[in-house]
Amino acid sequence: MTAYVVRRVLLMVPTLLAIATLTFFMMRLAPGGPFMAEREIPGPALEQLRRTYGLDRPLHEQYLRFLANAARGDFGPSYRYQGRPVSEIIAEGFVVSAELGGWALLVAVLLGVPIGVIAALRQNTAVDFGVMAAALAGVSVPNFVLGPALVLTLSLGLFWFPPALWEGPASRVLPVLTLATAYVAYVARLTRAGMLEVLRQDFIRTARAKGLPERTVVFKHGLRLGVLPVVSYLGPAAARIIMGSIVVESIFAIPGLGRYLVQGAFNRDYTLVLGVVLFYAAFLMVLNLLVDLAYTRLDPRVELS
Amino acid sequence: MLPRSMRVILAALAALSLAALACAPDRRGAGARHAHYFGDVSPPRGQVFRYNNGAEPESWDPGLCSGQPDGRVARALFEGLAVPNPRTLQPEPGMAERWTVSDDGLVYTFRVRSGTTWSDGTPFTAEDFRWSWLRVLRPGSGARYASLLYPIRNAEAFHRGALADEAAVGVAAPDDTTLVVTLESPTPYFVFLTMFYTYCPVPRHVVERYGNRWTRPEHVVSNGAFILAAWRQGDRFEFVRNPRYWDAAHVRLERIVAYSVDDLNTSANLYKAGVIDWTTSGAFPSQFVPYLRAFRDYQHGLYQGTYFYSFNVSEPPLDNVWLRRALSLAVDREAIARDLLKGSRAPWGNLCPTGYPGYVHPPGHRFDPDSARACLARAGYPGGRGVPKLSLLFNTSEDHRRIAEAIQAMWRRELNVEVELSNQEWGSYLQATTALEYQIARRAWIGDYLDPNTFLSCFVTGDGNNRTGWSDAVYDRLVREAARTLDPARRLAILAEAEARLLDQAPIIPIYHYSTNDLVKPYVRGIWPTALDTHPLKHVWIDHDWRMRAAGAAANGAALGEAR
Repeated sequence: MTAYVVRRVLLMVPTLLAIATLTFFMMRLAPGGPFMAEREIPGPALEQLRRTYGLDRPLHEQYLRFLANAARGDFGPSYRYQGRPVSEIIAEGFVVSAELGGWALLVAVLLGVPIGVIAALRQNTAVDFGVMAAALAGVSVPNFVLGPALVLTLSLGLFWFPPALWEGPASRVLPVLTLATAYVAYVARLTRAGMLEVLRQDFIRTARAKGLPERTVVFKHGLRLGVLPVVSYLGPAAARIIMGSIVVESIFAIPGLGRYLVQGAFNRDYTLVLGVVLFYAAFLMVLNLLVDLAYTRLDPRVELS
Repeated sequence: MLPRSMRVILAALAALSLAALACAPDRRGAGARHAHYFGDVSPPRGQVFRYNNGAEPESWDPGLCSGQPDGRVARALFEGLAVPNPRTLQPEPGMAERWTVSDDGLVYTFRVRSGTTWSDGTPFTAEDFRWSWLRVLRPGSGARYASLLYPIRNAEAFHRGALADEAAVGVAAPDDTTLVVTLESPTPYFVFLTMFYTYCPVPRHVVERYGNRWTRPEHVVSNGAFILAAWRQGDRFEFVRNPRYWDAAHVRLERIVAYSVDDLNTSANLYKAGVIDWTTSGAFPSQFVPYLRAFRDYQHGLYQGTYFYSFNVSEPPLDNVWLRRALSLAVDREAIARDLLKGSRAPWGNLCPTGYPGYVHPPGHRFDPDSARACLARAGYPGGRGVPKLSLLFNTSEDHRRIAEAIQAMWRRELNVEVELSNQEWGSYLQATTALEYQIARRAWIGDYLDPNTFLSCFVTGDGNNRTGWSDAVYDRLVREAARTLDPARRLAILAEAEARLLDQAPIIPIYHYSTNDLVKPYVRGIWPTALDTHPLKHVWIDHDWRMRAAGAAANGAALGEAR
């Protein structure tokens, strides 16, 4: 087990290196640069800026220096936001994105799994069709439609919630709902499919034959395997949801991490983009590892090797 | 029947959403609405002003930063020698209580207020200005707007590293209350320049101690009407009144919250819900303008900026002045402003925008298809025959695309000239225009100070903002001559001559005049539309009795808007 974890962690190193290298050189291939502006920066100021950030060095030298610093978790200063280290920008944005994503994930599981179970138990009834139709709608409505619709009705119409900003518990409700809806729907569908598969199996029949109450059969024996597809989906989904949704953060003016990847690329803020990409990659890999570990807990047939 | 665990979960969720409802701020509801205004009109408690500052500032170090959102933060915190009048933007005494100009227009002597201090109590002296200006000009400063200080003697040479002795730069502080500035050439708008944030003083003792982190709320010390109480990345700035500000007695706001909201729809929602009191110009979708125009809290004014198309005149076929003239004469600016921009912008045929007292604009470019065809024939392309397919570049944006498509159609219809549209994202677009890797490009220019020079100086030979490859000896001579001319009327006449020359040679074709469009709640006083879209926040206050005043004004038959 420990050996497995160590091996997986070591395997992350070449992957991260490859991602860092690709990102570094692809950023530099894009035309323009971080200090290009509609209003020209005077020559000497521009030269000095390039010197300050080491952009006057040969590219391979910049690359090696970047790798050496990144290995220590130091991505350097942002080119755009003066006096702000990239690691600080990521840390501050991540706290907010993680909170938003954490709530959304919680709602997705707490609502999605029960809905899926109900649908599976009432397969091919009106309940099942109704719930699954709602889930299909939930998956299909993009959050850039859902978000403004919620703001229009619940905020500007009924005055229940603030239309945007990240201050106080009430401000969490609309963005969390917007972000969670698609995941609720997806989790419900996965749970339903997983439960239907499991409830047909021999060990469930055995459990019922033993005379176990239906509740124990479904929740203790069935759900444990039935949620496996949800678990494997949740790993990458959690990474995506927690790293920040650009759309939701933009609609609700939430100071999360999502915006920095896109804006960093537009601004040619090399260090910021590299920092966010590497952070995201590492985060995704760690979550995948956690999912694999969770599998062994839930399904006795799975062994790590 | 649901299983028990599930009922518990659903009950918990219901409780959670109820709790969230209970925590919702005291919404004032539909009762606070008013048919004449867009959304909620109940003022915040106390003297608190909340507005959307726009995109997250890159910096608010006044010496180094650039751009409107950054500038608004810097201006709230720091004050220069003179401060703009909130309506006219004309200079009024700020940190300098008065100033004199020598007869030759070269030496400005400012009397800096005595007995004033920084917000931490450190005495403020004229030396603070000298040190701050030299800091901007030091070759290593990286200041974006350092060139605004170039009118000062030897400033440019010092900044470019050609001159190492900072004592040779024309700024001296012989004593604590005297600042003597010597210029390269008479610059009638110099006092105006000193109001720009690049000229604001910064606290040497804090800058030297904390380096590039000195503007953080935990370190920053300022001399303006407000101090920075808090900042959260991508979210907000909070300012409170600076009790040590020299004119603190006249500052009525206790607190300002400036949000960093870049999504325009979100900004409009926040305004409608009464979370913010002012949107700042353009901080709502431009498609809303025709709808919002009907509301009394919509403010509209001319903004000192011009939207134009720029030609790369360094290669054929656009090195041909007759072809350039033909293309310009075939653009129907009125139709663009009326049909595409829905009147939110004014059609404009000049480079320099309106609003400079005493400046008489030369005749601008106009729409005249017959002359356009005549020019095209003179260019050697009668009936548009033989014109190679041209390429028109713009940075990716729906508005730019619609204008480009309209002009593409006009050129095809009037001149039988084909252009292909090419859009690039911002960084690539800037690279292409800077390196002259384009044929025709959408561009714009926003003035820094209220003088035509801020536009005309861009197009002299070799200027970094020229970006057309255009080099004209007559034009260069006129702009240089104006810079040496003392008589204000004569100087403006020469500048008008320069603009006429540029319009005649047509390295650019103007399309529209920018305007400011903002929403400001009726209870906010002290925000007027201004040509540079600057709004000194020290004059702003919240009028809790605005309804009574409005009713009284209406009863007197006066216009409602006059109260502010």
